[in-house]
Amino acid sequence: MIYVIDHNDSFTHNVVHQFALFDKVEYDNYDKINENKIKQASTIIFSPGPGNPKNYPITSQIYKKYKGKKKIIGICLGFQHILFCEGAKIIEQKKIYHGFQSNIKVITNNSLFNKGKIFKVGRYHSLKLKEPFKSNNFEITMRCLNSKVAMAFENKKEKIYGFQFHPESFLTINGNLLIKKILSA
Amino acid sequence: MNITKQLSEIHQSGVPYIIYKSQKGFDLYTDFSKKIILNNKNIKSFLSKKNKKKLKNTDLFIGFFGYELLNNLINIKVPKQKNLNFPKGIFYKPEKKIKLSNNFKYPKKNFVAGNFQINMNKKNYTRIFSKFKKKIKRGETYQIKICTKYKTKSKINPLDFFSRLSNSNLAPEAFMIKDNNYSIISCSPENLITKKGVDISTKPIAGTVKKTKNLNKLKALKYFRKNLKETKEHNMIVDMERNDLSRICKVGSVKLSKQKIVEEYKDLFHYVSLIKGKLKKNINNFDIIKAMMPGGSVIGCPKINTLNLLNNQEKENRNIYTGSFGYIKFNGDMRFNIIIRSILNFKNISEISVASGVVVDSNVNHEFNENFLKAKALIDLFK
Repeated sequence: MIYVIDHNDSFTHNVVHQFALFDKVEYDNYDKINENKIKQASTIIFSPGPGNPKNYPITSQIYKKYKGKKKIIGICLGFQHILFCEGAKIIEQKKIYHGFQSNIKVITNNSLFNKGKIFKVGRYHSLKLKEPFKSNNFEITMRCLNSKVAMAFENKKEKIYGFQFHPESFLTINGNLLIKKILSA
Repeated sequence: MNITKQLSEIHQSGVPYIIYKSQKGFDLYTDFSKKIILNNKNIKSFLSKKNKKKLKNTDLFIGFFGYELLNNLINIKVPKQKNLNFPKGIFYKPEKKIKLSNNFKYPKKNFVAGNFQINMNKKNYTRIFSKFKKKIKRGETYQIKICTKYKTKSKINPLDFFSRLSNSNLAPEAFMIKDNNYSIISCSPENLITKKGVDISTKPIAGTVKKTKNLNKLKALKYFRKNLKETKEHNMIVDMERNDLSRICKVGSVKLSKQKIVEEYKDLFHYVSLIKGKLKKNINNFDIIKAMMPGGSVIGCPKINTLNLLNNQEKENRNIYTGSFGYIKFNGDMRFNIIIRSILNFKNISEISVASGVVVDSNVNHEFNENFLKAKALIDLFK
């Protein structure tokens, strides 16, 4: 079972539907977490949402509790949230991408995806990862072709993954494939 | 009896009635046997109540949900605001339905009206605009619609106004309500819910451009595609509406059936998408209304945070504006619009609300003027 933690977002149910193509999905808002469901879940998803990771301390607690024990996937705010818990700074960017379609590229051989592959993806983010960023086992695996902003990370050892873009958006081409690969990893 | 005469007689008899745009013309509903004034307490039972199977074409409730009621329905509080004490929602059970043609005529009547006053000057609008832009930069909202209101004292004949409005702008979700103590006249173009059996769809509009001699449908499409701001706003609404349908629809059934097409109206082109889904089992009317309302395209995104930001900023109750009008049939089928481009007449005051979106690359002068242009089409009826 996959447990999706919603951060009061207007895209979370697209995420739920996308993951439900592959497994049973349960979801709750971050302030109404069901401990039993979390325990039963094999994978935890941190949804997109408004604001900054530091506004959601409950999500940070969950991350710390289950890191390394369950697969964790973060999308947009969720992506930032995981990095934030790993000590990263999340900052405002000059150019803001809301409802924007970008080309992004796999930049490393260590990714689940082939190096050099380009994806067309939908983006909704005001904030971004401040770089350089370093944390054990974490590697940035995709970047925006134009701005070079970090678009995905993978921590294969502890099975933690994140996308700054929205795989569930209609603007993302082949989003289901991305999710399928991460879930079967 | 001819229809025009019948319409005049209904109007002059003083009984309440409702007119709603249908596919081929208009439907008039009257002879109301029930009138339900909605509040936070009775809305759930109103929407959950099972009515006997649909037998007649009047076996339905028709009316509206106001903005505040829809906020409360999803547990969002609206702080104390300047308030007309206009009902939060009203539904009627009609016993009579009459079909009208698209160009029904009603002779122009005299009316009394003062000059419309805006409730927010440009300086205040600019201040709020900048505040929201900062919030967008911080990621607290991605798109937010600031509402401004125009009001004047008036005494009008709503049928006269509705007939003139419909003759100049035949909007697919137009409606009018005439009751004893209020009336609403609307040329809403936007359908929020069409539900038949397990099929449900929504048709958000994001992007409008005025028709000119040189701008045909194809050129309008090119204009929208080239305009990055309109495109991004539209994309956001499409994903948000997919989300809202996904709350109540079967996994894998939510599909973008028409993506970013241009629809042509008398004076305007709209940039429109159509999203469809199939309802999950055991979803009732209450679940549907809660999932879809208030309609996202007139609020901004993400819905909850954006509504809270708006409600803390706006000093005056939105009343009907950005609520929904429509009907629920006894068999569960329904159709609802989003209440925009409307005039509310209550206590001898006419009010017109308009809003336009702030996204990161919006320009304050452009949006302020767009608000005025949207209102002007309705204000001009008072000339």
